[in-house]
Amino acid sequence: MKMAWKEIMKSKTRYLILGSIIFLISLLTMIISGLANGLSYDNASLIKDMPEGTFYMQEEAEGQYNFSSLDGETRNEIEEASSDAMFLSIQMGEVEAADEKRHGVAFVSTANSDHFPDVEAKRLVLDNSIMKEGISEDEKMTNGLLDHSLKVDGFTDQQKFSHAPVAFINHDDFQNMYRTDAFQLAFIEGNEAPVIDGLSQFTNDEFLNTIPSYSAEQLSLNMIVVFLFVISGMLFGIFFYMINVQKIATYGILKAVGVKTSTLFKMMWVQMIIITIISLVLSVGISQLLGAVMPEGMPFLLTLSSSSMMSLVFLVVGFIGSTVSGIQISKVEPMQAINQGGM
Amino acid sequence: MAILTINGLEKTFKHGSTEEKILKGIDLDLPEGEITALVGASGSGKSTLLTIVAGLQKSTKGEIFFADENLTSLNSNQVRNIRAKRFGFVFQQAHLVPFLTVQEQLGLMLDTAELKWSKEERRQEIKAILKKVDMWHHRDTYPDSLSGGEKQRVAIARAVIHQPEILFADEPTASLDSKRSKEVMELLTSLSKEFRITVLMVTHDESALKYADYTIEMKDGLIE
Repeated sequence: MKMAWKEIMKSKTRYLILGSIIFLISLLTMIISGLANGLSYDNASLIKDMPEGTFYMQEEAEGQYNFSSLDGETRNEIEEASSDAMFLSIQMGEVEAADEKRHGVAFVSTANSDHFPDVEAKRLVLDNSIMKEGISEDEKMTNGLLDHSLKVDGFTDQQKFSHAPVAFINHDDFQNMYRTDAFQLAFIEGNEAPVIDGLSQFTNDEFLNTIPSYSAEQLSLNMIVVFLFVISGMLFGIFFYMINVQKIATYGILKAVGVKTSTLFKMMWVQMIIITIISLVLSVGISQLLGAVMPEGMPFLLTLSSSSMMSLVFLVVGFIGSTVSGIQISKVEPMQAINQGGM
Repeated sequence: MAILTINGLEKTFKHGSTEEKILKGIDLDLPEGEITALVGASGSGKSTLLTIVAGLQKSTKGEIFFADENLTSLNSNQVRNIRAKRFGFVFQQAHLVPFLTVQEQLGLMLDTAELKWSKEERRQEIKAILKKVDMWHHRDTYPDSLSGGEKQRVAIARAVIHQPEILFADEPTASLDSKRSKEVMELLTSLSKEFRITVLMVTHDESALKYADYTIEMKDGLIE
């Protein structure tokens, strides 16, 4: 430990460069991860904030909720299987405000729900993100598919779907708009997931991935995050390889006088841990600060627990990278160093 | 009395399909507490003999007995353990650890030898040795600020701080001028006599031979 620290202090520039690179890569990873989480939440907070459970849709819909239709008979079957089953339908659409400005929304109609607002006919409850577009309570909104207006009855917090604010409406209004009394989805909370003929089941995460924009968006961002982890691992490997090559003579001589190979590995690991922890503390701090000052229109969500998890991954990746590069330490022969000369 | 006995030691190096026999059957008794110098022309096998005896490389054939232990039958970790605790090394170059100060170099050797000394004992011992090699005033200096002779004096202090039974010296004066060589040899001799450390030294330096109690000449892989 002491020897590892001594070397860092004696070769400050060398380790400062490594630390800076690790700091920048981990900061970039955390920012991209924060954006990925933010986008994911912005895309589907309606679903993400729901408790863990099972979604049901028609088998014929082949995993596309908007092709699913649960008629009255199927609903009865589901209710027989679980009296707490909730039903919902989602349709992308738009509402027009009094100033004739149109706003894209996701119409959501629910039944038997404890999680979503119970909305009366001819009224709607909107996600509060729409407020900054000038919509206020009691305002009357219209939709081309309805022959009456919908009065804004209130606002909910963080209810978005496919990046659009959710508009909760009464099922009668939904039926009038889309000419169907069927619901698209059923949801049963908890671990209980009865098998029902003709219906396919999805966990919350599985259901999120059936949303086309969600899976494509998350896949791309997560790939970037994974690549950044891989790059940082390789960087650790390359950097420690270069440092180790420069220290072959020192390692050889230390081995000649009887220093254990494990002691040399421990020294390298301690250096890796010191550099990584300092870099990670800085990048976690700065990414949290960035999260607080990000503009409102930029969805960014980076919790301390996900930062900590990423930090742990960085430490593991750094450990693997430095260990792989350190294999050469075990191969160093004292004779090699003695013949090389040196300080 | 011999502290180390070598029987029929051979070393063959392979270069592709050709083989080169460097040591052709060495028998030797190393007298305890004395300085033995190995001399001979380049390629005679003296450095190879020293490094094999010191456990830094393996022999092809033969046996080395050190205090009743057959070194050739031990595994690499057991040999490393002997190197750390019972052997000391001085090389042609000082080979100091660049990021440790003079006194830390010695501390590292004490850690490696796993001596159960108290902090105060360690401090006193390091101070005593550094004073002996006239490097106490440089105790907090890093190797890159020392001259060649000063580095070699620190290397000698490092080699004897843990009170080894045998000190192996491979051309310890080769990189020094005649004045520094004399100083280093006088130092090695006085430490060897004071701590009764057996010394096996390879040298080309004729002036160093006067410090040796015994001189062994090697030629073509054999002792003459």
